[in-house]
Amino acid sequence: MGAMNIERFEVAQFGPRLGTRLEGQQAREQLLVLLQSISPTGQVRVSLAGIDVLSTSFSDELIGRILHQLTNGDFGDRSLVLETPALELADGIDVKLAQRQLAVLCLVGDSWHLLGATTPAMVETLGLIIAKGQTTTKELAAELDLQMNACVNRVARLAKLHLIRREQIGMSGPQAIYTLHSILTD
Amino acid sequence: MEPLTQLTLKTIDTILERVAVNPQDRLDLRGVRFADPYALVLLYLFLLEGEEARQPVTVSWPQSQRVRQWMRAMGIPMSRFSHTVGPIAEADGALQPITRIEDESGVGRVVDGFHRRLEQRYPLTETSRRALVAVMIELFQNIPHHSNATGASSDPHGVAAMQDDEDSIFLAVADKGVGLSASLGLRAGYENLSDAAALDVVFHQGASRFDDPGRGGELRRIASLVRSWDGAFALRSGRALYSFDASGGDVYDVPHFPGVQLGIRFPRQLFV
Repeated sequence: MGAMNIERFEVAQFGPRLGTRLEGQQAREQLLVLLQSISPTGQVRVSLAGIDVLSTSFSDELIGRILHQLTNGDFGDRSLVLETPALELADGIDVKLAQRQLAVLCLVGDSWHLLGATTPAMVETLGLIIAKGQTTTKELAAELDLQMNACVNRVARLAKLHLIRREQIGMSGPQAIYTLHSILTD
Repeated sequence: MEPLTQLTLKTIDTILERVAVNPQDRLDLRGVRFADPYALVLLYLFLLEGEEARQPVTVSWPQSQRVRQWMRAMGIPMSRFSHTVGPIAEADGALQPITRIEDESGVGRVVDGFHRRLEQRYPLTETSRRALVAVMIELFQNIPHHSNATGASSDPHGVAAMQDDEDSIFLAVADKGVGLSASLGLRAGYENLSDAAALDVVFHQGASRFDDPGRGGELRRIASLVRSWDGAFALRSGRALYSFDASGGDVYDVPHFPGVQLGIRFPRQLFV
């Protein structure tokens, strides 16, 4: 898999205190243009640097709706990651993604957090994939001491939410075999 | 009849009831020695409603000069009630006068104004200031989003005001639009709810008139935040009032008034 094309989207370009759904909608239109302009496996990092207040409504219009489209497959294998100087700035995003049953990876400095509708199992599995950079479901099942089916379900959920990337490398009977890639690895 | 000494969240419905029973009676506020912004914005909308219906309410304003001065500074014209909330002269004590909220594009500017006033008076902590600004954004934009959801109003708008006292800050946001029941009634499955039932689904299901999983839940979340602050919360719509404070809360029957009115009181210690 080639190097990932990463573009930044600065939310503060719309002001430090955001805002209403209308403001979120206007910002989303620009984020959509950026997402569509990057390579099919590219990534947009949405930065909250310079933001003072981000309301839940704005968060939902900008991030919630985009992630809804992303998980519906509207943007192919593209992914979206949040970057924030302080986790509390992303509280509204966390609330709205939980409401929508969606999730996003959020970087605070060197550490990552999973926001939205998360479970300890998701965090555990995602953490291992991020630590390894690249792995397979079989390896994960062994390391997590899980039955294969349970591991496949966990991985499928993470892939559906575009929190990891799967690359098909072959078939085993009727089942596709994938390598699993962290979206935090260039 | 006992003269009113307090014009507050707890007494304003008594006033509305008195006028509803005897519409010709003069609204006697002469004995009022204390008023809160929730009662003030409700009174403002009540007087406006009377004017618009060509049944103006005659008011005997408080005799207390301090209270009269504060009410005037907060945007209640004493001599003759008027639709217009004009430029307000600064007066001792008034934190944020009654401010009109119309379209969504103006919400940011109104929030900035409230934020500035609060910041001028208090050394706000970052966390509480951010939380409060986010709360204001949600509450203020509810007015253009919901108060005229059915499109029935020719002049859809709401008002907001804020006042502090010795130990708390009180934010009030109100409109006299269609109310929660009519707004929710636009969504399949929520038609013909009573006002109390509408309050119930707003708080327990986080329901909104929009059939979108990302919409709704804000009032429930704000109520939960206020509870975590040991504050007080009141939400009134139509004939129902849901309120709570540190000692508990419930849904109460109140005299009918159109729209949605909300009051939040939070301890000042949050901000220092």
